[in-house]
Amino acid sequence: MTIDNMPRLRAGFAPVLCALLLFVPAMTNGYTQYVVNLVLIYVIAGIGLNLLLGYAGQFAFASAALMGIGAYTTAVLAARFGVSFWLCLPLSGIAAAIIGSIVALPAMRMSRVYLALVTFAFAELIVWVLLNWKQVTYGSDGVNVAAPYFFAWRIKGDKSVFYVLLVCTVVMYWLAHRVVNSRIGRAFVALGDNELVAQCNGINIVRFKILVFALSAFYAGIAGSLYALTIGFVVPQSFGLFQLIIQFSIVALGGLMSLYGAVLGAILLTTLPELLRDLQSVQELIYGLVLVAVVVFMPQGIAGALKKIGVLPREVLAHGWRTLETRNRRE
Amino acid sequence: MTVLTLVVAGIANGSLYALVALGLVLIYKTQGIVNFAHGEILMVGAFVGYTAFALIGLPYPIAFLLAILIGGVLGALIERFALRRVATQSHTTLAMVTVGLSVLLKGAARLPFGSDVYTFPPVFGSAGPISIGPALVAPQNVLTTLVAIALTLLLLPFFRLTTLGKQMRATQQNMMGARIVGINVGRIFSLTWSVAAAMGAAAGILAGPISLLYPDMGTTFLLKGFAAAVLGGFESVPGAVVGGFFVGIIEMLFGGYISTAFQEVSAYFIIILVLFLRPHGLFGRAPVKRV
Repeated sequence: MTIDNMPRLRAGFAPVLCALLLFVPAMTNGYTQYVVNLVLIYVIAGIGLNLLLGYAGQFAFASAALMGIGAYTTAVLAARFGVSFWLCLPLSGIAAAIIGSIVALPAMRMSRVYLALVTFAFAELIVWVLLNWKQVTYGSDGVNVAAPYFFAWRIKGDKSVFYVLLVCTVVMYWLAHRVVNSRIGRAFVALGDNELVAQCNGINIVRFKILVFALSAFYAGIAGSLYALTIGFVVPQSFGLFQLIIQFSIVALGGLMSLYGAVLGAILLTTLPELLRDLQSVQELIYGLVLVAVVVFMPQGIAGALKKIGVLPREVLAHGWRTLETRNRRE
Repeated sequence: MTVLTLVVAGIANGSLYALVALGLVLIYKTQGIVNFAHGEILMVGAFVGYTAFALIGLPYPIAFLLAILIGGVLGALIERFALRRVATQSHTTLAMVTVGLSVLLKGAARLPFGSDVYTFPPVFGSAGPISIGPALVAPQNVLTTLVAIALTLLLLPFFRLTTLGKQMRATQQNMMGARIVGINVGRIFSLTWSVAAAMGAAAGILAGPISLLYPDMGTTFLLKGFAAAVLGGFESVPGAVVGGFFVGIIEMLFGGYISTAFQEVSAYFIIILVLFLRPHGLFGRAPVKRV
């Protein structure tokens, strides 16, 4: 096999993988199916955050709250106004994207640490609003989300939900893949590398910052909407600090600037707590240990480590880990 | 509740936030790390104090010193064994290590203490509030304020006058330069973490009687500390102290005059408002861009 037909080989691999995934519900019981569903949701959330944090290098902490906005848009619209889920799904993404582009405003004039704090404060405020705006969100009582219909087929139970999630995940992954490998994706990377150089190369910083915040928020919103569908019940507390830590860990452990990384991180961090469920007392301890150990020993994430030893192909556009290494050297 | 009583209570809380903010600022200045585990260091300090004072029955000053000592050792260990290896990585990676440490420390605290809520016994027995002029002050608040101010006053001459303090400042200004003139930068990093963590632990044992003790107690203090540090510009030691008092007082006034539900989020409002008006903090200066 020569290097030249590698891409074609890989191009053939994706449809085969998707086809294989269709048979996952045949192999799972109710509980493992639920975990698989969570993995898919976190793949979407992880990709969204990676676009912002990894590719565009924007140190923003609002992703969990934006996921909450997506989830609540779906839950409130469906439960109170009877809007169809298929309309709620894109609306959730759009609602999150609009709020996400507001978050982009402080990013125009603040440096890293301040941006992190403002977005963090903003995220906590959103959770607070969800908790206290009881007329709309029912506060900490939460909102139930009824199972939607797809024509005559009622999407109830984790196995049916899986197919909805699978389609969404594949579409969102493909979209991110296209974005990352396009002029827009290169602009994001340039933005993260050095704003001044990006500007000198004719990249409109304001426009691309808003774009990457909105795009990332759109992913968070869609993930939130699907989360509402999967769990069937949303409470504000699901979108607080812990959610943020999970999403950040997915991106940092999987590998910054890598779409594979988001997938690997989502698989690892969703299954790890479930595997440790029997060890309830030490679950948190081991989770923390794994988090620290992976970051300390594989600073480029799992995807970065796998790429180095050649198991994973390098992701074409950005030469992922290479750009990251130059970024790090500079700091 | 008079304004003065609220303000005095705000000063006591504010001195805790100032201690937390000081630790955050020290670490950020030296290594550019936003320490998300600082709240858990505070929690460790609180639980060490609780174990020594309430469970073993040691006198309070010894419990206090023990908390500071263990906090300092913990900080040095964290720096030496977790952060030293990744010191040259990106901010995101470094922040991630501290996030992991935060989860780890909470998990470790849950092993002996579970998820129960503990109350720190009052240090002064049943002594009633002292009245200073028209304001009423709890004795614990007086202690907290005095200790916090004393620690800050100790720290400032330490930076100005001692060789070690000067070496720390040199490292903060220019790591490469410091290394060239023969400063053991690694040791300075460990020392910085140690001092910062000791202050965090001190804040923890002081916070004990005011707050409740449970493994997740650190988060609120971390957020208030962040707000204080942001107000002070995140790189200024005196700024962090002033910021801490400011956040404490504003929070109390919000709680007293607007609503207690609003009190919880007043710190976030402060962060957002200040950074929108002055993107580099009240005391911070905009960095000069060199091309």
